[in-house]
Amino acid sequence: MRDPDTTPDDRARLFEMRLGRAGLGLVPRLGGRLSDALLDRLFQRLAARHPRAFATLRSMPEASLRIEPVDTPAALTLRVGPALSLRVTRRDDDAGPDAARPDAIIRGPYARLLDLLEGRIDGDALFFRRELAIEGDTALILALRNTLDGEEMDLMADAASIAGPLARVLPVLRRNAGPALDRLEAARRLLPPPLRRGLDRVEARLAGTRPASEV
Amino acid sequence: MDGFELICPAGTPAALRAAVDAGADAVYLGFRDETNARNFPGLNFTRDDVAEAVAYAHARKVEVFVAINTYPQAGNLAPWQRAVDDAARLKVDAVILADLGLLEYAARRHPDLRLHLSVQASAANAEAIRLYREAFGVRRVVLPRVLTVPEIARLNAEVDIETEVFVFGGLCPMAEGRCSLSSYATGLSPNKQGVCSPASHVRYEPRGTALATKLGDFTINVVGADEPAGYPTLCKGRFVAGDTPAYLFEEPTSLNAMDLLPELKAAGVHALKIEGRQRGKAYIGAVVGAYREALTAFAAGQPVPRLDLQAMVEGGTQTTGAYKRAWR
Repeated sequence: MRDPDTTPDDRARLFEMRLGRAGLGLVPRLGGRLSDALLDRLFQRLAARHPRAFATLRSMPEASLRIEPVDTPAALTLRVGPALSLRVTRRDDDAGPDAARPDAIIRGPYARLLDLLEGRIDGDALFFRRELAIEGDTALILALRNTLDGEEMDLMADAASIAGPLARVLPVLRRNAGPALDRLEAARRLLPPPLRRGLDRVEARLAGTRPASEV
Repeated sequence: MDGFELICPAGTPAALRAAVDAGADAVYLGFRDETNARNFPGLNFTRDDVAEAVAYAHARKVEVFVAINTYPQAGNLAPWQRAVDDAARLKVDAVILADLGLLEYAARRHPDLRLHLSVQASAANAEAIRLYREAFGVRRVVLPRVLTVPEIARLNAEVDIETEVFVFGGLCPMAEGRCSLSSYATGLSPNKQGVCSPASHVRYEPRGTALATKLGDFTINVVGADEPAGYPTLCKGRFVAGDTPAYLFEEPTSLNAMDLLPELKAAGVHALKIEGRQRGKAYIGAVVGAYREALTAFAAGQPVPRLDLQAMVEGGTQTTGAYKRAWR
């Protein structure tokens, strides 16, 4: 059932969030070179759009920070300092004994981390409520949070801008995503149960999670 | 004026825009160094940022105050004096100062610059406030968060100066500007280096399902899986005394005096201040928006709406602080 309190904007946001989470789950499966190239492209685009934040990140002492969305199989490693970089890996790949320990770790649900990055939610409030866990160098985490919070980020628009024409389509998609999602949900409810469960499994596999029925 | 002036925090340019857009009358901020009491990494404004902030705010008829509210150290006055000079050059609407020497410098070098007395000066009686006004022309005093509403009313009756009080955010239960608890634990002073419980000395350590919060070598609290977490300031630590763990100084609750608007107005308060330059723009937008809505209703003589800010507060609980509290 659709929540009567949600607006078309909320539903568009939910759609983007699901798409982003599925995308993040897919990146480490693309192979190192392709995923690195994609991330570098996104990173360059973000740097061009947010020069002040990126200058601050480059001016910081060299350190690494691992961002772990707990509901995806992927983790992000951000290296700050002059050799600023972002890498995506499978979360379990980094747990080995040879893996370099990051200076700090932020852990939380993907949707919350995205809200945080885009300044839609207060990081302190999330932490106070225990929805976000942090370990390691608190000053590094705080510096990153404050730097990113000083920007007005729209990750979906930035990601879309890599694909050129998609950037122009995005506002239209956003306007229509809510109603489209409603129609998709309605159509899904009409499907026979085996097919519906199959779709759930495909969606979960893309996002790197397991459907509720399998947990 | 009939209503209150609403003074809102900003730690970044985006937070400033959020505060202005949500209905601030004035925004206070600090330069990116030890001259202000929220000297956290990645926070605060460069000189260019302040110029942009002033342009953005003034275009929307909102004022900008610069907090230069730490204490200059002997032999190193230059950063503080430069901060005052730059604030004047950048045409901010007021500077918020605490140090006597810096107040004298600002009054002498920039006679047209409006001076506010910071909460860090801990001026809590009429004689002290009168001295600041007469000696340096201070126009407004930010009152320490230890006074009751009747005490504020008496004070306002005795001195001819604007008073500003905190109404929302983190509480400081100590003699502000004189507290050395954090200095003891970390070697860095809130009053000189501008940071209470510096993040470089803060660690969160999982202990099974519990979470230990540490400041330097001291464990400040251990919270269970279902308990809200907090930032490890010593005054809000849970310590064992007589075999009983308890919040000896102050519980990790947040101030919210929205219910006290009529009393604060009757007490002669001019401006209401929201704490939280270290918080994100989502907090700023939500809290400033809620207070603007409450003040609009109050000014129109309507009941102040009950607005839910519970999600934003440290410790998950709210208090009216010293305004209505008798000492235990």
